[in-house]
Amino acid sequence: MSSAHPILQFQDVTIASQPPYESAIWKVSFTLGAGDLLLLRLEEEFKELPLADAAEGLVDLAAGVVRFLERDWTGLSARDAAAARGRIGRVFLTEGWLDDQGVDENIVLAQRHHTVRSEADIRQEAANLARMFRLPGLPLWPPHRVRRQDLRKAACIRALLGRPQLILLENPTLGVYADLIAPLVNAVNAARRGGAAVLWATTETRVWDDAGLRPTSRCKMFGSQMHLLTR
Amino acid sequence: MDLRYFLAVLFMSAFAGVQPRHWPRTVRAVFVRQLYRSGLDSLWFVGVLAALVGISVVVQAHLWLGKVGLSQKIGPLLVLIVARELGPLFTNFVIIVKSGSAIATELGYLKVSGQVRVLEAQGVDPFFYLVMPRVLATTVAAFCLNVFFTTGAFVSGYGFAEMLGQIHVDPLSFLNSVLGAVRPADVINVLVKSCVPAALTATICATGGLSASASVAAIPGATKDALGRSLAGMFIVQALVSVLTYW
Repeated sequence: MSSAHPILQFQDVTIASQPPYESAIWKVSFTLGAGDLLLLRLEEEFKELPLADAAEGLVDLAAGVVRFLERDWTGLSARDAAAARGRIGRVFLTEGWLDDQGVDENIVLAQRHHTVRSEADIRQEAANLARMFRLPGLPLWPPHRVRRQDLRKAACIRALLGRPQLILLENPTLGVYADLIAPLVNAVNAARRGGAAVLWATTETRVWDDAGLRPTSRCKMFGSQMHLLTR
Repeated sequence: MDLRYFLAVLFMSAFAGVQPRHWPRTVRAVFVRQLYRSGLDSLWFVGVLAALVGISVVVQAHLWLGKVGLSQKIGPLLVLIVARELGPLFTNFVIIVKSGSAIATELGYLKVSGQVRVLEAQGVDPFFYLVMPRVLATTVAAFCLNVFFTTGAFVSGYGFAEMLGQIHVDPLSFLNSVLGAVRPADVINVLVKSCVPAALTATICATGGLSASASVAAIPGATKDALGRSLAGMFIVQALVSVLTYW
């Protein structure tokens, strides 16, 4: 896994075990360039790892370096780091919604915050993604009033909105595989063709075996260590 | 958390608040929502309070000024008691009880439910999105509520005094006597007394809520502490400003 201009680079990253994570990670190294997809198989008992948070510079490292767009997170000012995170789309392991806003407002929040795109333009793109995920439109209700399957779809729409350069998917199809896998694979492949790098972590065998994904690399977590299986 | 921390957050809010780059539309929306919650939502309550305070002050003034033969001094007395002291005091009480508690509870819940982390992960800085607009909106709301309270108390005071036959001047003359009693120091005094405690309340409650640990059970404690500190801060600022302005 290497690239001339990597989008995400982990270099000997070690993170101590600490709540809410279920395991530490030990000397993890990989590089994701434009169009790359790293499919990562997680152990069932260690679903919650600090990988996605580390990729976003949100967790302190015990050792190693994480670079996003060739810049070390620790060297960025708070303002630059926030702007950089605005270029990352993420499906959280746990739902990750703001309760006091509608799901539609949650979806467009980052784009409204980081860009000066018109409201109509952002909502149009979101509506197009919603159709891709077989939703009739953006859910307008607060998150607690929306079906779990639709929330997962909405989480995918949020992660893909605004053509992010890095997409982090934390077990996105868990419990909603049949409903979500086809549109998600299509959307991820379209994003990759557009130059995005994707880190897809899963505990599900059928995602791991999915022929449509065509990952550039496959890795497995064994305890705190990541093993590269294929490239 | 010590005083220096609160002052640093307060200073940062004021400093960042004057820079347009910290006001994307999402932050502006939070500011407007907080202005509505702290200001408009409390308007009826402050209005009733102002009416009752105006009537009470007039009753007391009627009793005591009548005894010393200075019944016509009711205008300046209203300025002295209502505008300088009671207005800022009552409006900040309302801000602490209604807005401060809501801010501390809301941000505490956002913190323990992981929603602050979700914001961070999307590159939305919790300080600029959650704290700064709330501090500034609460400050603006407190000032507006204070103006509303003072006006309401004067109007109700005048109306009640006229009902009692205590005032024998027309409303314009009364207004003139009230405004004539206002000195430049009063303006500064009212401005500082209404804005600083409100800003401090929002800062203390926002940081208190965000400091809640990883359990929902921590939120009531964090809210209680924040409200206690806000009350103490308000009384200290009120006393300090009175001493510095008039002594």
